[in-house]
Amino acid sequence: MTDLLFEPLRFRNLEVKNRLLRSNIAGRFDNYDGSGTRARINWELKFARGGVGAIVSSWCGVDPRGFIVPNYAAIDRDETIPFWRQLGEEVHEHDCKYILQLAYGGRQRDIQGITYPKGLSSTDKPDPLHGFRCERATPEQLRQIAQRFADGARRAREAGLDGVEIHGANGYIFTQFLSSAINDRSDDYGGPLENRARFLLETIRAIRTEVGDDFHLQVKLSATEYANAFLPWIGKGNTIEDSVLVARWIEAAGADAIHVSAGSTFPHPVNPAGDMPLDAVIAGYDGMISSGVHAFRNYLLYRTPIIGRLMAKRWSRPPDSVEGFNLADARRIKEVVSIPVLVTGGFQTASVIRGAIERGDCDAVTIGRPLVANNDLPLLFAEGHDRAPRPCTFCNLCLYNVIENPLGCYDQRRYDSREEMIAQIMSVYDPPPFVSEPAAEPAVTH
Amino acid sequence: MSESIVFTPLEFRHLTVKNRVMRSSLAGRFNNYDGTGTRVHINWDLKFARGGVGAIISSNAPVHPRGIIVPNYAHIDRDETIPFWRELVDEVHEHDCRYLVQLAFSGRQRDIGGIVYEKGWSSTDKPEPIHGLECIRMTKGDIAEIVEAFAQGARRAREAGADGIEIHGCNGYLITQFLSSAINDRDDEYGGSLENRARFSVDIVRAIRAEVGDDFHMQFKISAVEYNKELFPWAAKGNTIEESVQVCKWLEEAGVDGFHVSSGASFPHPRNPAGEFPIEDTIRGYDTMISSGKHTWRNYLIFRTPGLNNLFKHQWEKAAKKATDGRIEGINIEDARAVKNAVSVPVVVTGGFQTHSIVAAAIESGACDGVTIGRPLIANNDLVKLWAEGHDRPSNPCQYTNKCLINQVENPLGCYEPSRYSSHDEMVRDIMSVYDPPEYAESKSATKAPAP
Repeated sequence: MTDLLFEPLRFRNLEVKNRLLRSNIAGRFDNYDGSGTRARINWELKFARGGVGAIVSSWCGVDPRGFIVPNYAAIDRDETIPFWRQLGEEVHEHDCKYILQLAYGGRQRDIQGITYPKGLSSTDKPDPLHGFRCERATPEQLRQIAQRFADGARRAREAGLDGVEIHGANGYIFTQFLSSAINDRSDDYGGPLENRARFLLETIRAIRTEVGDDFHLQVKLSATEYANAFLPWIGKGNTIEDSVLVARWIEAAGADAIHVSAGSTFPHPVNPAGDMPLDAVIAGYDGMISSGVHAFRNYLLYRTPIIGRLMAKRWSRPPDSVEGFNLADARRIKEVVSIPVLVTGGFQTASVIRGAIERGDCDAVTIGRPLVANNDLPLLFAEGHDRAPRPCTFCNLCLYNVIENPLGCYDQRRYDSREEMIAQIMSVYDPPPFVSEPAAEPAVTH
Repeated sequence: MSESIVFTPLEFRHLTVKNRVMRSSLAGRFNNYDGTGTRVHINWDLKFARGGVGAIISSNAPVHPRGIIVPNYAHIDRDETIPFWRELVDEVHEHDCRYLVQLAFSGRQRDIGGIVYEKGWSSTDKPEPIHGLECIRMTKGDIAEIVEAFAQGARRAREAGADGIEIHGCNGYLITQFLSSAINDRDDEYGGSLENRARFSVDIVRAIRAEVGDDFHMQFKISAVEYNKELFPWAAKGNTIEESVQVCKWLEEAGVDGFHVSSGASFPHPRNPAGEFPIEDTIRGYDTMISSGKHTWRNYLIFRTPGLNNLFKHQWEKAAKKATDGRIEGINIEDARAVKNAVSVPVVVTGGFQTHSIVAAAIESGACDGVTIGRPLIANNDLVKLWAEGHDRPSNPCQYTNKCLINQVENPLGCYEPSRYSSHDEMVRDIMSVYDPPEYAESKSATKAPAP
């Protein structure tokens, strides 16, 4: 009897060996300009070795003006292709597919860097949480951005990768257009839902025009935005009813799959859901104080006793409510489209994932934090574990450390010692970029 | 111009440099978090090799992972780092430029300590005074471990084909923390008298000689005067020139081939890098360090409070103005002369040099044998070529606004003085040029891209 988790997943243009994909996880492993490094390749290989059927890349910027932070590998120019080709080839050696996530931050740029201080968005209002400033994109600028996505897809194809994912979720540029809580335009790109979806659909078509019909293209969507989850005076944003329509349009525009997430921003109380580790927030958020007009206020509030704790409490969700949080939304979307539906949200229990696929909630799951905690989670499932012996606790220390430190699992309770934790985190740098040639000259001895 | 002494070779015991100009140590956060080197770092150093300096002193290269100042500088703390340094040295040599690795250990002066070691090591257990960076007092066993780490770093530099090493003995890092009467509060044989405070340095020099032999260039960078009161008027003044001269004599005897004169008991220090305190850039760049120390939040609030920040700026800039009548260039020349008069090995000196005639006069006057340059070479990578072409000073000189320094906490090292460029875009392009070529270039890949 074959396990449903390890049945192949067939998209129109791509077959993945099982139902477990790594969701996009970034980490500031690359150069400031977005050129890729050996550390990025090492990072991805951890998951390829761990048995996932496909990896959705890190958050990968298609244009420098759209980068969220410096030091994420980008696909914004042809010079990046050799890096992605090398990465793809090494991942393929582990019978794992690689789907590149094409992304553009819009106004949601946590550390803007020196090149472009202001992003482009549907609106000219700063984001309400950090106060990142932005300019309202003109229709001409939108056409250019759509073409940047198409160029990124072409580069991914030239690099030998297996497909692309448009990052249409989590508060980045497409959410800023889709969302009724953010988009305040009065032109063809704002107002009714079909106008707000126009930019995303035009981008899908631009990619298809560039790479043809036989290259895998999936779209990640925040099915429910919960835009007022933290700041109650904001509109609630798009609901699942809106997203069901958008999903149909996405399919009609030529997408091969939909990837369901949630939340009008990133981070958001429901994504990644779980704890808000206040000490780590204070330690990491200081580097963002100069990023937004509200960031200093936020930092002061986080540091203020009681207020900081109240904010963290309002943001946090109990860990046992995290796994499968988006399944109901995925099911609603799966009911109306004929392409496969993937869903993310804290998956780390084989029986939960199996049940979701059996019920028809989704065709496969994508996993982020639980794979940071246990890179080999698919192998553990294959060995018969229903859950890893040391599962992810959804403490979100990985998320808040990423600003200043290497991405990895920072929950010391999951390790025997702090030293073991640090060794595990730092293992991403092995091997280094420069290693001895096989015939290296012998070491000088004295 | 070709008869200028600046373009005559500088002869050390085991090293000849083609001219009298070295690039001083400059570090940007170009590398991996664990200290493994990257292509970007090589690109950075090649800018100066192409620009005509006779030798490059590397970035601050920690000999032990506990001894970092910030993450993302290239380390020389394990044998796995050797291939990177070898590649770097090979490429620099193609430009007829020598390469010295600066062996360093931060001690308590760790601006961003990183995740690996929560606290630095020092001669003392008192926090570093500017930011309040906490530390642990080293035991004699710890001292022996770091002495050996310096020796192993030197061996790795030699195996990588570098032309020598520089021991970073100044600017408030670990060796200063032992040398300085204002910092070292030990009562064992590594504290108290000058001889005891110098013991750690002498141990390092001897250990390196024992490891790499007598024919490998080794120079020592020293804060000849610590000027510790310039920072905090209520603090002890730290080592004087007389004390440093004595230390240099002992170090020469122990096997040092050259001295590199700097100043200050901390980094940064009002006299090093001397010049402006850039308030706006500091507000933007210092925020990342708030979580680093006990005084960083206080400092950050001072930096962003109008009035208070100007008071701080005035206090900070006063010392350098007083020392040189507002002229930054050559701020350490007289200290170098005092060292040179006491030792027989060559002496080089740092401190804002960018005028050919000033450098030539300093050498001819016997104050030094050569100079090392930091910021003016960031502004004009080809400064030495400009001199050779007959310019006494670049037409677009370094303005000592120190924006390079504060920006490198969060951004790529480069010149951030907008008035030196015709536009913001031009400045950013110049800064970002360090990423060209990338680590993965077309030639490295076996397969050609298929047509779309």
